[in-house]
Amino acid sequence: MRLQDLPGEPIMWVLIASELLVFAAGVTAMAGVRLTDPAGFAAAQAQLHGWMAALNTAILVTSGCCAALAERACHRGDRRRARIGLALACLGGAGFLAVKVVEYARDLTAGLGMESHPFFTFYYLLTGFHAAHVLFGIGVLALVAIRLRPEEVQAGAAFWHMVDLVWVLILPPVYLLG
Amino acid sequence: MGLTRIWLLLLGLSAATTALAFAWGPVAAAALLVLAWLKARAILCGFLHLDRGSGWRAAFLVPLAIWLVLIWGLHVL
Repeated sequence: MRLQDLPGEPIMWVLIASELLVFAAGVTAMAGVRLTDPAGFAAAQAQLHGWMAALNTAILVTSGCCAALAERACHRGDRRRARIGLALACLGGAGFLAVKVVEYARDLTAGLGMESHPFFTFYYLLTGFHAAHVLFGIGVLALVAIRLRPEEVQAGAAFWHMVDLVWVLILPPVYLLG
Repeated sequence: MGLTRIWLLLLGLSAATTALAFAWGPVAAAALLVLAWLKARAILCGFLHLDRGSGWRAAFLVPLAIWLVLIWGLHVL
């Protein structure tokens, strides 16, 4: 197992591993605090809009597929398809954020703020930090779409897949494990 | 595996997750976390090309599995 066996830039893998560790620490802390009030956590979690999270999963994995298609097209030298793929990936990211804004608005309207319950503190921190990564990822994808250099597009797509990866891992503890 | 197949696999796993969302108990929780691990595996190997890096796939997937077991353990306590 050598560093050069890693696909793409090793520094991207350092970033992916460190982001996974940060989110894993957050989710583990939430699971630990939940032990002090399992019923309260379950009741708080039951107030979330699970269907919006499901919709966002479909949006994000589709967006990830578009980024992967863009990466392959760029390696083939097909700049047009690469740009279309990156644009669609960005559009997916924007769709994800739009759903998230609606979800937060509904939560806040229902009086479910960050201090309503410890569960909501973790919920807003974890999903908010992830949403910030989505926003940053859209910027990264837009930037790499300008020059369309294969190694830059691969790095941008890798960041986007990391955002996707984090989402599928935080989804069950945050939304589903009542 | 082609990108379309990976995408369809991820959508299928996500649909299974949604279907299981209404189930309760330790078995359902374990199933949801297994589905999350399978999605992570599909993204790491299919989109991030980790299947090409000998040994690295296990270096990511095994700790991920251990962490999910930890989360399950904390959940069922």
